[in-house]
Amino acid sequence: MAVESLSDTLWDVVICGTGLSQSLLALSLSRSGKNILHIDPNEYYGGAEAAFSLQEAEKWAASVSTPEAQAPSLFKSASITKPENVEDLSFPRAYSLALAPQLIYARSELLSQLVSSRAYRQVDFLAVGSFFIVKSPSAPSEPRTLVRIPSTREDVFSTSAISVKAKRGLMKFLKFVVDFDNPENSEKWKPHAQNPLFEFLQDQFKMDTELQTYIITLTLSLDGRIETKEGLAIIHRHLSSMGVYGPGFAAIYPKWGGISEIAQVSCRAGAVGGAVYMLGTGIKGTSAADDGMELELTSGDKVKTRMLVRGYEDGTRDAGISRLVAVIGSPLKFLFEAVVEGAPIPGVAIVAFPAGSLTTAAGNASASPVYVFAHSSDTGECPTGQSVLYLTAPATPDSKELLDKALEFFLSSVGETPVPQSLYHVYYEQYAGMTPPASGTDDLAISFPAPSFSLSFDDTTLDPVRGVWKRVMGETAIETDYMAFPDREGAADDDIYD
Amino acid sequence: MADSANAPKPSSSVKLVLLGEAAVGKSSLVLRFVNNDFQENKEPTIGAAFLTQKCNLPTRTIKFEIWDTAGQERFASLAPMYYRNAQAALVVYDLTKPTSLVKAKHWVAELQRQASPGIVIALVGNKLDLTNDGAGSGAAESGDDSGDARKITTEEAKTYAEEEGLLFFETSAKTGYNVTEVFTAIANAIPETSLKSARGPGASHAAGRTEEQRVNLNGPRDPNAKEGCAC
Repeated sequence: MAVESLSDTLWDVVICGTGLSQSLLALSLSRSGKNILHIDPNEYYGGAEAAFSLQEAEKWAASVSTPEAQAPSLFKSASITKPENVEDLSFPRAYSLALAPQLIYARSELLSQLVSSRAYRQVDFLAVGSFFIVKSPSAPSEPRTLVRIPSTREDVFSTSAISVKAKRGLMKFLKFVVDFDNPENSEKWKPHAQNPLFEFLQDQFKMDTELQTYIITLTLSLDGRIETKEGLAIIHRHLSSMGVYGPGFAAIYPKWGGISEIAQVSCRAGAVGGAVYMLGTGIKGTSAADDGMELELTSGDKVKTRMLVRGYEDGTRDAGISRLVAVIGSPLKFLFEAVVEGAPIPGVAIVAFPAGSLTTAAGNASASPVYVFAHSSDTGECPTGQSVLYLTAPATPDSKELLDKALEFFLSSVGETPVPQSLYHVYYEQYAGMTPPASGTDDLAISFPAPSFSLSFDDTTLDPVRGVWKRVMGETAIETDYMAFPDREGAADDDIYD
Repeated sequence: MADSANAPKPSSSVKLVLLGEAAVGKSSLVLRFVNNDFQENKEPTIGAAFLTQKCNLPTRTIKFEIWDTAGQERFASLAPMYYRNAQAALVVYDLTKPTSLVKAKHWVAELQRQASPGIVIALVGNKLDLTNDGAGSGAAESGDDSGDARKITTEEAKTYAEEEGLLFFETSAKTGYNVTEVFTAIANAIPETSLKSARGPGASHAAGRTEEQRVNLNGPRDPNAKEGCAC
């Protein structure tokens, strides 16, 4: 089909925004034969999940630097700091800094969809390796140390970091979680389902604070107060994902910027499926038309479409997270070691400062954990010899200070002399997205919710995408066809034309 | 390309991206290369933009994974992942259309800025059949007295290609002239060291920088497999 002009075509769906949800929708609909125009007001792919070169990061930060974001941005208070000695920084394009890095558990539905749609062939995945906590010293004069969390039964067995008694407790818990849904075990946790997981661990498994911290860190709970029901499900996912794609790791991370890369690969597959792409183009106005609606684009074009799908970017103003991205002038090699024989070298390691382990100058202790995602240069996010740290904490008046502190303490706890330097900082705050108004079956304009804050990919974000696909496909929708596409010609490993 | 050698030669995949102004014949060049076919008045490319073709060299087989722009170049909205890890690029202009060489130079600059440092770039002037050098076909359409629609001299483009270190060819997708030569020259120009072995997990120590860390999603999904990737 030739698209001679945008306005002569009646589009089945116009999709606005190239975040993951919209991009997966473009892929699924275009390859299911629908006529898709995919636009984005930004000059880059990925929306709130984009990955930026330093140049792009600077441009972006300038646009969301105000303390109160102008609607409809989900971001505010962005600032960039370059310490004096930046000669170690490489050229801007050597970096690909992710706005919202998320690890993806092996059991995630997202991976199943990438495989069934064959889009996974264009993505390189790296293993997510160990989880660590930063242990506060018993005496103030001593340095902080990093302790690796044993997260499988083999691991617990072989670790020397914890006492024999603690090992027994941890073993018992891991065994419990593997079958947490069976009737006997359910009885044990269901009465406490809504209580904080750490209380459950304390009361039912007699875990001390340190062991509780290990478990809470594995859940990546932003406030550290995850409920028992949800927390057990996440630990279960961790354990059941272990070894699925190879020994020694439970989660993976897409090279070149995580979710951003999957969004781009989906757009690319959407283009191959016939979708037309325009960046730097948003929607100026909408009006009703005979066959659906007419959209006036910021480019001046007027297009007709049966349906419009976009992201809902109205942030709530009362909840948010603070993020700090730091380029480090050291590869931090010891973080990225395979701990199981035959395991791939991980590209990502997770470090947590437990709640209460950081204190502001004014004497306020941190109420929540601070998570540090460390990415090696294997992720393609920085040049060889460097690494990127992504720090996250719930946004509070103290969060910026706490993140800066966490970065400083982390760098001095890694045991390298001289202490590795941070070459480049991006700080920003991100609002939680509000739940978009539910759309009726007659609505021609549908909104996807804003990306979740979760530090691991949340499968529920895939549901609205499938919902819209079904609605657009209408009576022809066959559930098993969703995201199930053959390889494009010749892309298969075994070339049948050989 | 159907000669099947008895002993299997080493086979490598090469990602090749196609760039150039709309309507210079990018897809036609690929169609000629892959299917030895030509379509007059081909519609702009939308969709089917990923093709593969093998190129047999004396000592190895190169499998080109060719990424056409799927019409996206009209809106200058190529995803960075499109260039990423591309080992070769074909930048095409129409030698009857001066603006297309300007655009080609723009793409070359963009590749030099954004693509992998070792990328092999070939500059290709297409539609040689519309000129006097074009083996006698097609030139009649031109209103020019000489019957020659050429607007860009070989010297001009060749000098530019030499300055920038590009391979250079003039081709006709319509007659097939020089088309296979372009791809063979690219295959020969790809340094042996930058070749990743045919896709496949584990097969990778010789491969690029970080290839060996790749997690293979197509392996067995077996949570009990302690030895992992039976790739």
